[in-house]
Amino acid sequence: MKSKILLSAAIWLCLISTAHVWLNVGFGNLGHKVQVMMGKEKPVLQVGFLPVT
Amino acid sequence: MTKHGEGGSFFRSRKFTDWATVKEALIARSIDAVFILAPMAMQLRADGVPVKVVYLGHRDGTAIVVGTDSDIEDFGDLRGKTVAIPSRFANQNILMHRMMKKWNMPYDSIELQEVPPPEHPSALRVGGVDAYIVGEPFAAQAEMDGYGRVLYHTKDIWEDFISCVLVVREELIEEDPDLVQELVDGIAKSGKWLDGDLAHRMNAAEMAAEHYFGQDPDLLKFVLSKPVDRVKYTNLAPLKKDFDEIMELAFEIDVLSRRVEFEEYVDDSFVRPLEDIDWNMELLPEDPDGGIR
Repeated sequence: MKSKILLSAAIWLCLISTAHVWLNVGFGNLGHKVQVMMGKEKPVLQVGFLPVT
Repeated sequence: MTKHGEGGSFFRSRKFTDWATVKEALIARSIDAVFILAPMAMQLRADGVPVKVVYLGHRDGTAIVVGTDSDIEDFGDLRGKTVAIPSRFANQNILMHRMMKKWNMPYDSIELQEVPPPEHPSALRVGGVDAYIVGEPFAAQAEMDGYGRVLYHTKDIWEDFISCVLVVREELIEEDPDLVQELVDGIAKSGKWLDGDLAHRMNAAEMAAEHYFGQDPDLLKFVLSKPVDRVKYTNLAPLKKDFDEIMELAFEIDVLSRRVEFEEYVDDSFVRPLEDIDWNMELLPEDPDGGIR
């Protein structure tokens, strides 16, 4: 019983983490962040503007 | 806006069409850095949004425009008239208040109407407003097309006028101060390059019109050259005396819900003397997208 609960919790944690990355972070963005942390890619920063001075 | 800095980081510009969306994107942290209106940055901070002004976008670059055949000859003639402003959170609104104080006119002596910047010239043309005050290139638009004339350039009525400021989320400053430094240095270098030679300005007008603004290059060339000090891209450090004045004036007309101290919303630690920075074109990395260097 205990192992079933642990297994269910682990599966739920995996699913909710995947859903979070998918909906809120983006897999491409996550991959880029990992590459930046490993020093393999340079950071990217979006800068917003309106076409008016 | 350069696409990448000398440090190799990539800066991608994201174009917005209205101030409300910019504000929401910043609050939701879907963007970490943005050029916004100076009083709007103050109010965001007053509302508890963790943002800091780290640099200015430019100085001046705003004008009050009236119809070519209008009988308005000075600011006093605007009494009882309707004037378009970009937003109540725009420093153009604060400038109108400052001018009305100078001319001993109450704040309600001119009807100020919020109109999105691109619609200012057409509002004047169809007689929807008697005048408008807006950042370039929309002031020059009416002038170049022949139905508007500049009543005042800001450089003549509020020297070194501030309109847009570079705001970044505090989390970005904490997480990656080097990236913020690279961004500020890039803007400073671009400004120094722009103000260094008229040919640079013409080159920038072509590039910005095609790749960023989607506007007529001749209009941008007009803005950057007639006169050449119509908009300036140096002296971009955020100074306490400038911001304190804007803050007090904004508070007087309820644009701000409370007074905000300079140190609360400004981080000027990224400002470096202009003589210490310069473009070194040899150091710029190749752009893998084949875009603008």
